[in-house]
Amino acid sequence: MSGSGAAATVAAGRPVLVHSFDEWRTAARDLLGHHVPPHAVQWISQKDGGDLFAHAEEPQGAPAVKRGSPTVRISRKLMDMLQTAACCRVPNRWAFLYLVLWRWQQGEHDVISPADEDGAKLTSMVKAVKREEHDMHAYIRFRERHEQAGPPRFVAWFEPGHDVLPQVAQHFAARMGRVTWMIATPEASVMWDGTTLHSTGPLMRGPEDIDDAGEALWLTYYRSIFNPARLNAELMHGHIPSRFWKNLPEGAIVPAMVTQAAAGARKVGQTRSVGERGGTVIPIAPDKAQPQRDTPSTLDACRRCELWQDATQAVPGVGPETAAIMLVGEQPGDQEDLAGEPFVGPAGQLLARAMQDAQVERGAIYLTNAVKHFKWEPRGKRRMHKTPAQREVEACSYWLDSELAQVQPKVIVALGSTALKAVTGNPHATLKDVLGKPFMHQGRWIVTVYHPSYILRVPGEDMKAQAFEVMVAGLREARQLGL
Amino acid sequence: MELMDKLEILADAAKYDASCASSGAPKRTSEGKDGIGATNGMGICHSYTPDGRCVSLLKILLTNFCVYDCQYCVNRRTSNVPRARFSVDEVVKLTVDFYLRNYIDGLFLSSGIIQSSDYTMEQLVAIARQLREVHHFRGYIHLKTIPDADPALIAAAGKYADRLSVNIELPTEGSIERLAPEKNVHTIKLAMGSIRRKLDEKAEEPRSPTFAPAGQSTQMIVGADASDDKTILSTAQTLYGSYKLKRVYYSAFSPIPQSPGTVPLAPPPMQREHRLYQADFLMRGYGFQAGELLPAAGNLALDIDPKLAWALSHREHFPLDLNMAEESMIARVPGIGLRNAKRLVELRRLRRIRYADLTRLRCSMKKIAPFIVTADYRPAADTTASEVLRRSMAEHSPRQLDLWAELQAA
Ligand code: SF4
Repeated sequence: MSGSGAAATVAAGRPVLVHSFDEWRTAARDLLGHHVPPHAVQWISQKDGGDLFAHAEEPQGAPAVKRGSPTVRISRKLMDMLQTAACCRVPNRWAFLYLVLWRWQQGEHDVISPADEDGAKLTSMVKAVKREEHDMHAYIRFRERHEQAGPPRFVAWFEPGHDVLPQVAQHFAARMGRVTWMIATPEASVMWDGTTLHSTGPLMRGPEDIDDAGEALWLTYYRSIFNPARLNAELMHGHIPSRFWKNLPEGAIVPAMVTQAAAGARKVGQTRSVGERGGTVIPIAPDKAQPQRDTPSTLDACRRCELWQDATQAVPGVGPETAAIMLVGEQPGDQEDLAGEPFVGPAGQLLARAMQDAQVERGAIYLTNAVKHFKWEPRGKRRMHKTPAQREVEACSYWLDSELAQVQPKVIVALGSTALKAVTGNPHATLKDVLGKPFMHQGRWIVTVYHPSYILRVPGEDMKAQAFEVMVAGLREARQLGL
Repeated sequence: MELMDKLEILADAAKYDASCASSGAPKRTSEGKDGIGATNGMGICHSYTPDGRCVSLLKILLTNFCVYDCQYCVNRRTSNVPRARFSVDEVVKLTVDFYLRNYIDGLFLSSGIIQSSDYTMEQLVAIARQLREVHHFRGYIHLKTIPDADPALIAAAGKYADRLSVNIELPTEGSIERLAPEKNVHTIKLAMGSIRRKLDEKAEEPRSPTFAPAGQSTQMIVGADASDDKTILSTAQTLYGSYKLKRVYYSAFSPIPQSPGTVPLAPPPMQREHRLYQADFLMRGYGFQAGELLPAAGNLALDIDPKLAWALSHREHFPLDLNMAEESMIARVPGIGLRNAKRLVELRRLRRIRYADLTRLRCSMKKIAPFIVTADYRPAADTTASEVLRRSMAEHSPRQLDLWAELQAA
């Protein structure tokens, strides 16, 4: 393969000519294979403008890397960076990219870190290209041509600062479906016929002659969505570089808008043209305007403690008012808070399994909580359950007491320590003294078991199974006592 | 009424809503398909108006007729504004026409309450449905949800929209009762909760029909009531946690024509809104708690950013050795963002971090210097009093503030 590769060109004292990233890559591969250092290569490139989509195919007869030469292994990240940076219109881009590649090959992998000097340059080139792509996605403006003119239906003129037209064309192909369009730039033009992209050299100086009614609507929108009370022209100009303004239709009306706003219109947020029109109040009586809502139950309106504030809703008990057994948990959790029903979350599912094992019919039992609002604290983006304080349990006992008075159960199953404290009214009651030992309190049996969330949390399968058994046994006991 | 006139009125009426982002939708393409529109998940700002805010969506009201009387709102029933109403077809046409010209990335549709919550919501859903099903529009759609609407309608909205939002508007129940007599915190929370449940269901059952893939958001108006920043951020934190919101938007109250006596005549400093956004970002991106940023009642400092404020009152953590510290702590150093914290940790695997690295990473050296230790640097003055540091780092460009002061005086 002597005489055909880039290394041979350099050896012959000639500069390496490349037009595209793929040509550069082939040449660079060959040069690296021959250990040609960056300073020994002179790169030249013609003004761009050839076939935009040429990079889709490998150039014909690309020379394979010389046998025995080291294979060039580069990371995906570096590959992407090189490919993107290659679109950046800076002098000597090919030489610089080769320098980066060379340093990487020498083991200097920090060459892609922005904290490295070359890495910083590479990063800024990548950024400039990405930025240009973004700006072109954002600030291209299509104008619609007359239907009789035939395709393309929409045309746009843009002056990109870097070689981003091919990528950008892909973006618009995805956006416009079968609608035909053309984008013209000073270097090249590209057209979409609804199924395929076609590229040509520079064609025209943009669609200045097109009279598009859509543009007038856009300007109206642009004027009206601006809030003169918030005038901050500096910020606006900071966002869109000045070279884009001249091709944006709204660019022409900005100065007048700024002057008007600065001249007093900013006292109210309304656009002048809207403010000058006559207005209408809507004649409707306040009570007619009030939306239909279920009147809040007294529980919903409860403000006995602070817990209502961060919760979605109060969660009342559910079940037949004649139930012989009442199950009391601690408080609603994340799911219960959203659903407005007790025991619908993971703990509720575990409880349902335990009930099944104990042959206790869920529908025959009254299910409720000691505290009716969800108490939680933020942990990252989640709500972490937080045990209610004694004063909250006391405040909320008002509601538990009224449920007890209504239902008059024979047996209460207290799930966990908060429930035990609530049903006994004894803030010092502890679980371990009464676990699995039913006792009478104010004429009712109280059976105490673990709270299902405790069973979910307890480490080790053995412990879990054991705790679950305690619960099943307790429920069985309760069923018997309730007969 | 001409379409142009309606557009003028109904865009003007929609500009008080701060949300505008078009990011977060799943990737969609129209290449080789009927219909138009693509999303790449990132969202694009297509223009900026002279208030410095971006235009990424066609943001309009279906109508500014409204039977409610929210005091901060220019469209309240007792307000004397010109009224207009789009037809479903008009909104659809405007969206498609603007989209094809690359003015916008999609539609953000909201509405005054007409007839009833359900009726209004039905209209919004009809527009989204027509865009998606008749025009095969694959661009972004954000629908403002009417809180009292039937959950079935909210579910339908989520089928077509990328994002749903329910605006809380004010941070406390008391303020809502006072300034928005027809609204109700309870139903607002229930609506947010019903959206979250749908989102959860979808996450658990990936094959189920799509539901608002870009999630839900809300907006709070700042400065229409007396709530301080502490209250606002705590409410935001509660909403983020409870309803997994993607964003809370803060909108500084703008004076409205013929303002009722219940709301202030002057807007809050714009800088306050800016600081709230910064603080909000610290909560979402950096894991700060509202209580860390504002331990006591009151407002965020206007002269320095909330991260700097936090660092100045937590000197015990600083100076921080960048060669040792955890990434999350590095990100808490003023002047180092999330991305640079990550880069530093990556670089640290290759070699020790030096002072010059930070310059190349374009960190704000003036801010950073008193708070860090590197292989070759240690702040000489790490005993400088926080007050002194604060004065040296305060932002001396309160142009905005002057501007508003003049307005308040007027
Ligand atoms: S937790 Fe109980 S006492 Fe506290 S507000 Fe809710 S219902 Fe009332």
